[in-house]
Amino acid sequence: MTPMHPVVETRGLVKRYGDQLAVAGVDLVVGAGEIYGLVGPNGAGKTTTMKILATLLAPTAGEAYVTGIPIGSDPIEVRRRIGYMPDFYGVYDDLRVWEYLDFFARCYGVPANRRAPMIGELIEIVGLTEKRDAYVESLSRGMRQRLCLAHTLVHDPALLILDEPASGLDPRARVEMREILRELRSMGKTILVSSHILPELGELCTGVAIIDRGRLLRSGSIHEIERSLRASALLRIDVLGDEASVLAAREWLGTDSRIADVLETKPTSDGAVRIEASFDGPPDAQADLLRAMVGAGHRVVGFSQATSDLEEIFLKVTGQIDEEAAA
Amino acid sequence: MTAPSATFGATRRAAVREFGSAVVTIMVKELRSRMRGRRAFIVLTVYLAILALITYGVYVVVAPNARGFNGGGFGGFGGQSNASALIGQSIFTLLSIFQLILVCFIAPAFTAGQISLEREKQTLDLLISTPMRPGAIVIGKLAAALAFVVLMIVAAVPITAIVLMYGGASIEDIVRQQVVLLATALALGAIGLFFSALLKRTQAATVLTYITVLALTLGTAMLFIFWSVVVNQDEGGFGIGPPERAPEQLMYVNPMVGMLDVVANTEPGGFGGINSMLAQLRGDAPDMGGEVICEGNQCRPVDQFGNPVNDVIETGSGYWWPRVSLSFVVVAALLTLASMRLVVPAGMRWALRRPRRRPPISDQPLAVGAPNAEGAPTIQEMREEPES
Repeated sequence: MTPMHPVVETRGLVKRYGDQLAVAGVDLVVGAGEIYGLVGPNGAGKTTTMKILATLLAPTAGEAYVTGIPIGSDPIEVRRRIGYMPDFYGVYDDLRVWEYLDFFARCYGVPANRRAPMIGELIEIVGLTEKRDAYVESLSRGMRQRLCLAHTLVHDPALLILDEPASGLDPRARVEMREILRELRSMGKTILVSSHILPELGELCTGVAIIDRGRLLRSGSIHEIERSLRASALLRIDVLGDEASVLAAREWLGTDSRIADVLETKPTSDGAVRIEASFDGPPDAQADLLRAMVGAGHRVVGFSQATSDLEEIFLKVTGQIDEEAAA
Repeated sequence: MTAPSATFGATRRAAVREFGSAVVTIMVKELRSRMRGRRAFIVLTVYLAILALITYGVYVVVAPNARGFNGGGFGGFGGQSNASALIGQSIFTLLSIFQLILVCFIAPAFTAGQISLEREKQTLDLLISTPMRPGAIVIGKLAAALAFVVLMIVAAVPITAIVLMYGGASIEDIVRQQVVLLATALALGAIGLFFSALLKRTQAATVLTYITVLALTLGTAMLFIFWSVVVNQDEGGFGIGPPERAPEQLMYVNPMVGMLDVVANTEPGGFGGINSMLAQLRGDAPDMGGEVICEGNQCRPVDQFGNPVNDVIETGSGYWWPRVSLSFVVVAALLTLASMRLVVPAGMRWALRRPRRRPPISDQPLAVGAPNAEGAPTIQEMREEPES
């Protein structure tokens, strides 16, 4: 209806618990079809932000809109458009899987003739087909997590708010959860997902917001944040040879004007020595460097640009902010 | 101007329909888990078996006595009743009181955990974040809990109906008994639900609920009796002046009084010692060691020999059971309203506002007021006072 609206928009969102500032002025914009990650340590304000968006908490100040609807003025309408999965939640043990979903479908006013086929589809999406008639009580942790995810989908919401969907899951269940999220993205859902475990979000998200102590430190795509953090790329060059030839390679690299800094030298497991250097320049300049280096007689066995993962970025961002604060 | 009002009527009807279906949703879910398996079946069977045993027991005890004194005086009957009516009344009395006591125990037990358990099991947030109104959640939960209690009460009617064979209690008496039982179940269920919504822990809610039930049944009666004794003594502890009656309203929240009133009025002139006890409570009866014969709001004290000692007293109180039932309905309504407010997290009371027509969403709501650079909050006008 109103495609020009971002699915989520907050402006100056503040939540105060007594003296404590849980959320201190967060501005978020999440466009349609995005998987947007909220990243930060425990207590950073991720859950509070999500609860405000899920209309379970009133903000102390600031504004929040879901698909253009202000959450304060029409919470019921907002609830129809979001599916919310809290970080900690219980399930009704004494219901069967399909009854559980049927209950929530009724709660969201899904018409009776649409409920049964929809529940069948949802159970299939989250891979609980064999457990359809099982009691919720008998489900494993990962299955419950998937059931709870399915319950957020019963009313076909535009936005999913998933608070730590992979917490407490074993690696296999985590992969399954990630696959489900990927599938949901392909269905056109916008997903706001939080995690304090960073790597699991990295490859999935189209955008992330790094939050610490209630403040939004950086937001945007991972690449954007990466670029804003570091003008240069980090090269990893593995060189063969004795100590002297490695030293020579280091010195050779130091003379190149595009190398800003030679950072570290350490032996790799296969007998080579890895030199890390920060490099300013486009990819073809990297190729030139490699050719020149080989031409100069250095025995290069590995040459790659390091891609920083979300964890690294997060540590850098929070570190940088701390330095700024200290300065 | 008809078009907008018609639309408003339609939105309103839709809202009511939505509310109703939400109540049904909660009821279906609650009953699904409650009635599952054999537990409910066993509870109901045991309950009815106990009632049947009581009926039989009363018959075995009362029948020989009643026959022996047939035509003569017996207890407070003054020889007016025949054996059959005595048996009928005895059965009716015991069944009514036993059922009332059970309702006093069972109704709060079914509701005292309903909200707090959702909190403890962390399922409440999932429920609250649906578009269902908190009122529908609370009413659905109360209705589901009461559905089983109502089933127990109504299922006992055929057993109670045995008294119709003996006489002494009429169909109207059974209807009154049902009214008092249902009103009691409603009020005590609402009390349990209220504490469940108020307190975080189910245990605390259960304890407070039963304390309240105890206060309503025994507490009010004791207060009522001691009132006149304490209020009307001088410093030396001697009674002074005519006894002052405690406010009668105290009795309107006592389920026992309601049920005793029903039982006592099963026959004109009152039945057994119960009526005189009630009359003492009401303060109608001069304490002369005699009885009071009452019918409706007309009471006539008699001495030990059954002779009227005074003129008819207009007590002004009349039957008590309708007042008890009515006040219970009011209590239940008030507590249910309070529970609705308590279910909503603090600061989110706007969720309780009546559904209105959604204002048209402007195309550019975000253009209003430029975002400020340093993220200083624009103070949103909150309808609620901020939590402190």
